[in-house]
Amino acid sequence: MKDLNQKLERAFNPRTVAVVGDKRAMGYLWLNALKDFVGKIYSVQISEDEIPGIEALGIPNYMSLLDIPDEVDYVVCAVGRAVSPRIVADCVRKGVTAVTLFTSGFAETEEEEGVRLQQELGDMARKAGLLLVGPNCMGIYNPGLGLRQNAEQPWGEAGNVGFISQSGTHCINFSHLAYVHGVRCSKAVSYGNAEVLDVDDYLDYMTNDSQTEVIGMYVEGPRDGRRFFDALRRATRLKPVVVWKGGRTEAGARAIYSHTAALATEDALWNAAMRQAGAVTADSLEEIVDVVKGLLYIKPGTGRRVGLVAMTGGQSVIIADAFGRTDLEVPLLTPASYEKLASFFNIIGGSYRNPLDAGGTVLMGFHMGNLQRMLDILEEDANVDAVVLESAATFLKSHRLMTRTLLDNLLDFVSDYKERCQKPFLMILQPWHLEGEMVKIRTKFLQRGIATFAGFQQGANALSKVIDYHRFRAGLD
Amino acid sequence: MSTIEIIDRAKSEGRTILTEVESKQILGEAGIPIADAQLATTREEAVTAARRIGLPVVLKIVSPDISHKSDVGGVKLNLGSEEEVTAAFDEIVAAARSAESEATVLGVSVQKMARPGVEVIMGMTMDPQFGPVLMFGLGGVFVEVLKDVSFRIVPLEPRDARQMIRDIQGFPVLEGFRGQEPADLAALEDMLMRLSAFVEEHPEIQELDLNPIFAYKDGALAVDARIVLS
Repeated sequence: MKDLNQKLERAFNPRTVAVVGDKRAMGYLWLNALKDFVGKIYSVQISEDEIPGIEALGIPNYMSLLDIPDEVDYVVCAVGRAVSPRIVADCVRKGVTAVTLFTSGFAETEEEEGVRLQQELGDMARKAGLLLVGPNCMGIYNPGLGLRQNAEQPWGEAGNVGFISQSGTHCINFSHLAYVHGVRCSKAVSYGNAEVLDVDDYLDYMTNDSQTEVIGMYVEGPRDGRRFFDALRRATRLKPVVVWKGGRTEAGARAIYSHTAALATEDALWNAAMRQAGAVTADSLEEIVDVVKGLLYIKPGTGRRVGLVAMTGGQSVIIADAFGRTDLEVPLLTPASYEKLASFFNIIGGSYRNPLDAGGTVLMGFHMGNLQRMLDILEEDANVDAVVLESAATFLKSHRLMTRTLLDNLLDFVSDYKERCQKPFLMILQPWHLEGEMVKIRTKFLQRGIATFAGFQQGANALSKVIDYHRFRAGLD
Repeated sequence: MSTIEIIDRAKSEGRTILTEVESKQILGEAGIPIADAQLATTREEAVTAARRIGLPVVLKIVSPDISHKSDVGGVKLNLGSEEEVTAAFDEIVAAARSAESEATVLGVSVQKMARPGVEVIMGMTMDPQFGPVLMFGLGGVFVEVLKDVSFRIVPLEPRDARQMIRDIQGFPVLEGFRGQEPADLAALEDMLMRLSAFVEEHPEIQELDLNPIFAYKDGALAVDARIVLS
């Protein structure tokens, strides 16, 4: 076990990488993906037609892994499936730590030859203690080292979110979408058919990895549900794990005699297992990014009562609906709070039951003093556990009222409030028709450590899941 | 007979479904509160058993071939006299034979007529992904129509037992709905924990239903049980 963890540490942090079988027809996918890799990179390609193109990229090419005059930690294998057993055998002889088989055409085809070949590769790797990632996958991503899965993936700054994905597409898309939401990967892996290493092995590794503070995963079906469940339970006691489940497995047909067996559907058991293990669940790429963002940016809290601030009447109605529809509550404030609000709140075109319909009172953000008073009242209110603010930024932008100074003041103000406020705090920043511009403003908020969400429902959902996780950790419920 | 002996005998007879009497004996041995059932092969034995247990009693058909006992007229409730027990024995055996002429009838089971409580179901099934899992729900229409049940993977921690009872939509019914007595939740949690320990010890069990269980304000009692071996 300890041995496996050490090997995975080497595999995720290789000093030397070799790509076997990259070619012009693939646009040198792998060699380009690794062009910024901080360690040493080699190519293995025997086709005379391909070698000049590879050498033109400035990457030394060899006829065999065994010819490389260096230790090789990690290999990406992109040859056809028929050749792949020879490459895996070479990895074993070379003493490589891990190999990713980008090659497909194995068990996922469900035909005999593919299944047999995968088994053969697996047996070879298991016997030699070679870590085999895949086959049929995009392998390992370590942005801190420039170890990437395509040439467009972000790199340079290592983040703190680990991502484990059965699918290559979802792994790469997560790294991209998360990045523009202020969420950076520490490491990620696309593991495909999981012949040797399965999801629980990667999960144990990320659980032990000190760089990783939150784990996200995309899973279709673990080969061993029980081992996955046990690894998940170990992980969630140390850090949050968000699980995005895709697809269904084929139900094994067998005679059923009891009510219990008839009711034990795959969905019912999966959901029960996630709840029991303390995992947070998500159903889409957008949702997992939102929930991970919430876990990173929102201060931990266990209370479900939210104080809401919106800018107009219509928004106040909808923000209350959205938060009330989850397992959060929108309570009345204390009499003391209402007394304070009554002293300055402009009730012409506004109200302050909860939500606070505050646009008139804060002059859509121009009167920051009143905004501060309101948010302070919510922070002090004993009936409120978390504070949510709808940003007026979109309104201001759409009325051409947003100036750089106003935005900077707003950013200073909310980041200062977030620092002071002991309660979970988040913002809703709806893009409306100004998506391109609002992305820039969202980025500025995220840079100040403020979680913003594109809609009330997204914010409510993320906050509810963040609180559920902290309640689990605290042993509540 | 001990649990292992009962299971071994069923296996040697090529049976995977244990009778109610066998199932209850095994579960009773595991410390699960269950209404004891005695097998009677003649009407005289049924009367003797009823006398020993104390009237009123319930009689049910015991046949490895009949799994839905009440569907074939194989259950008689609330029998208050020895004459009623005798008549019920004959009626049950006759009804079973006319419904399933090929069925092997081993006799009838005699058990105490339990006082009514809130109907609850617990069960276990061996899942190909996760191994043994437990189920909890309210009985009757809640489980049959609404499928209002919760699951947890074995072994349970006390928190899991607590949550699975509270996770069902119908939970307020157990808290004492419309003046009804609240159910003894601690007793139900304890039963789930015992069931978890029991199925963990017996990987040869494929499916199990305790249906119904009566939940009272002080304790709970399973009145029917079924165990299926793999």
